[in-house]
Amino acid sequence: MVNLEELKKEAAQILKEGKVKYIIGFQRSSNGLLPVPAFIKKPEDVEKLVWDPACVHNLTLFLQDDKNKKTKEKEPDERPVGIVVKGCDSRAINVLLQEEFIKRDDVYILGISCENTGVLDEKKLAKKLKGKKAKKAEFGEKDDFVITTEDGKIKIEAQEVLSERCLECKAHFPVIYDVLIGEKTKRNVEDPFKSLEKTESLPAEERWKFWKEQIEKCIRCYACRSVCPMCYCDECVADTISFVVTPDTPAEEKAQKIKWLEKSPVSSENFVYHFVRAIHLSGRCIDCGECERVCPLDIPVRFLNKKLEKEAKELFDYEAGFDPDKPSLVSSFKDEDPEDFIK
Amino acid sequence: MEKVLLKKDFPQWVKKLESYTIYSPQKEGDFWNYEVTKNSEIIDLDYLNTVLSPKKIVFPQREVLLEFSTSDEDELKVNEVLPEETQSIIFGVRPCDAKALTLTDKVFGGDIKDPYYWKRRNSTTLVGLTCNTPPSSNCFCISVDGSPHSKEGLDILMTDLGDKYYTESFTKKGDALLNLGKALFKTPTAKDKKDLEKIKADSKKKIKRQIKETAKIPPKLKDMFDSSFWDEESLSCIRCGICTYLCPTCHCFDMNDEVTSSSPIQGERVRTWDNCQFPDFTMHSSGHNPRPDKASRLRQRILHKFQYFVELYKNYQCTGCGRCISKCPVGIDIIEVLEKARDHGS
Repeated sequence: MVNLEELKKEAAQILKEGKVKYIIGFQRSSNGLLPVPAFIKKPEDVEKLVWDPACVHNLTLFLQDDKNKKTKEKEPDERPVGIVVKGCDSRAINVLLQEEFIKRDDVYILGISCENTGVLDEKKLAKKLKGKKAKKAEFGEKDDFVITTEDGKIKIEAQEVLSERCLECKAHFPVIYDVLIGEKTKRNVEDPFKSLEKTESLPAEERWKFWKEQIEKCIRCYACRSVCPMCYCDECVADTISFVVTPDTPAEEKAQKIKWLEKSPVSSENFVYHFVRAIHLSGRCIDCGECERVCPLDIPVRFLNKKLEKEAKELFDYEAGFDPDKPSLVSSFKDEDPEDFIK
Repeated sequence: MEKVLLKKDFPQWVKKLESYTIYSPQKEGDFWNYEVTKNSEIIDLDYLNTVLSPKKIVFPQREVLLEFSTSDEDELKVNEVLPEETQSIIFGVRPCDAKALTLTDKVFGGDIKDPYYWKRRNSTTLVGLTCNTPPSSNCFCISVDGSPHSKEGLDILMTDLGDKYYTESFTKKGDALLNLGKALFKTPTAKDKKDLEKIKADSKKKIKRQIKETAKIPPKLKDMFDSSFWDEESLSCIRCGICTYLCPTCHCFDMNDEVTSSSPIQGERVRTWDNCQFPDFTMHSSGHNPRPDKASRLRQRILHKFQYFVELYKNYQCTGCGRCISKCPVGIDIIEVLEKARDHGS
């Protein structure tokens, strides 16, 4: 079992020693079941840290803020950021290292094992509780969660309310860390691409209909982009100003900037946005599933990434985020790479 | 006009309104949203609040303002495109969302009346529903001068009394709808009135969340523009647009020319929702961005709602629907931010 005290002790220690400038972890929210990101600077504040099955966020996203802040400061604090990561989140760190977005010395990784379960899906839990409001979720003794509601505590089999990404997880404990809290466990996931079966088995027209309906719901709030630790471009083609404009950019150049897609939330533009997003993540997505969790309209955007993850595995035997020293999928080439899909 | 309508007669009333385009909350998977409703049987008024507010009907996310084209002689032609005059009804509007429209009315109804907005607004009848129990665990309307049974902005307010709806009409538009179903509506009895009062009184007590001493917040915010408070509060913000797009009172928009053909030139000038949380919202053409980070953007969202709007229109630009709290990916809670601001440095 993960011992939270162990995490707090380690966190307090590295803050006291000045080993890290601050720690990004999880803390209880004032309201609601899901803990929220915590940015802890003082050793005495480590008491705020929590770890429970509702710690869904992938905190590696906030490494972008740290990097941006550093580039703006004259004398930036070069010490690493302490960061609490689950297995999937740790794979994101590997991708960021592989792409040289961060250096290994930029992070002090407090890895947490999901042991035999993972994090829960708030919507699945809400259905299970039939209207009762969950206040707190805890790991149970054995592959179950203990949920506190207004009427007391109940035990629920983890499998029933686990988020989809956890059911297909390939890393139940961090693959890169400075300290590991909890145990290295091995869980057999029979088919990491099982959730794709339903859409893959549909005939092309029906699949098109399915996606058209889903994509047309999009209101372009860009939460799926904003929450992704890999979406770190200075500027995104989805924004109306494409590519960086500075006070020195001549007017003619500004006038010639290409507008890749319109702001109108119509099917054609929404498709461009979602496809660009998915393709930019191929060979990079580590399936933390945050894009899908945050979508206010419940668009199953994770499937798009998952499909490309499957292609990368089947065609190139490539899996993102396991080895930061390996060349990335899109920047490497081998003679034996298949090419029969190029038509 | 005050009447009662038996629940079993509700579909029949809706049938009599067939000359109108009807919107009602529809369940889509795990959430509710307003959709055009063809069949009166499927109006279900036992719903949680919708993901998007009825603002999307009166002020659609995409609106064509004009069409332009050039002729063979290179002559530019411009056609104004006004929305069609369609009489519509929105059923099941929550009092917070109706009040939100009255706030947007102020914005689009100043010295220059926005013709696109008002065409839709004037041809829409809002039929509200009292929130006997809060439709979201983050409802806080009573803290921002609202109430779960407020009639503000509504043409009709229906209140669920078990087997019937107590139906109050406040406007001519509302009376017209009741008259179309005249035979179905009965005069309320003394007991109905008593039940109504009790339900309305209880509805307020069931709201769990509140901002304490809201009135102290606007003057406080005035001195907090340069505070590091915003850096702290925005640490976990991910810069997405959920809070503002889902907000029933946010009304900022962008205008773009969408060219569909370059030779001959053809296209449309389109107005779309815009969002103060996005980097390009305040980007100047020089490349300078006066709101360069998430701290300044969170500050803008809060100050607009609880300082600037209050100064301009004597109202909070927030009706306490709780959408921004429930749907924030990282749990940023406007109630908490406002209470912290109220107590800041004191």
